[in-house]
Amino acid sequence: MTFYEKEINRISDICYSNEKQLETVIETKNYIDNNFYNDLSLNVLSYTRFVSKYHLLRLFKKYYGLTPRQYLIDKRIEKSKENLKKGMTVTETCFAVGFESVGSFSALFKIKTGKSPAQFQKEQLSRSS
Amino acid sequence: MKVTLISIPVRDQEKALKFYTEKLGFIKKLDTPLDGGNRWLTLVSKEAQDGPQILLEPAPNHFEPSKVYQDALMEAGIPYTQFDVDDVDAEYEKLNKLGVEFSIKPTEMGTVKFAVFNDTCGNNIQIVEML
Repeated sequence: MTFYEKEINRISDICYSNEKQLETVIETKNYIDNNFYNDLSLNVLSYTRFVSKYHLLRLFKKYYGLTPRQYLIDKRIEKSKENLKKGMTVTETCFAVGFESVGSFSALFKIKTGKSPAQFQKEQLSRSS
Repeated sequence: MKVTLISIPVRDQEKALKFYTEKLGFIKKLDTPLDGGNRWLTLVSKEAQDGPQILLEPAPNHFEPSKVYQDALMEAGIPYTQFDVDDVDAEYEKLNKLGVEFSIKPTEMGTVKFAVFNDTCGNNIQIVEML
């Protein structure tokens, strides 16, 4: 066994021995992946896993390094990029990935990618043509 | 400031170019001749062609400490860097069929599944799927 494998095993035993907690956060992440376009709140997420919302928030952050809300936003931005590349309009994209206002979608998109959705789409479409 | 480049030390740039494009599916982006047959050789991911570039850097051939460090990582089984994939099992099957040698088969650890292979240019490389 290499040094790396020994270290992996050692760290796994310390950090990932609680299988129930792992199952809870992985199921929550999968739920977000499959339902990102819906109105997802911490209440909904904790309800689906039968755990308290603050407990879920702490667990998710502990294992994934970011909160469920941050993960959801990243997921929506990633999906919106895919939709914009396919030629969907900015407004359609906004609602298709679960944002409720075009203004807040555009502002968030710009913070995360450095470009507005319209600029991003223009660049992508001109590149592929 | 932006992150646009990660560098991977390689013993043979041409061999590395072949492995990273033909086996791993990266695309050549820049190829500029430099002194002594060395090249500024970069690759991008097929799925993110405007994303960060990989620089295949011939450092171990020119700077001994780089070679020593690379050898030590290889000996310890430690990956030089890692790439994200959607499905580690599928990637493992595909690369295995192409003759890529794995030191760690797909393994779950906490919230990730990972595997480690030899890039034939002096490095262990890890692929990771978030569970």
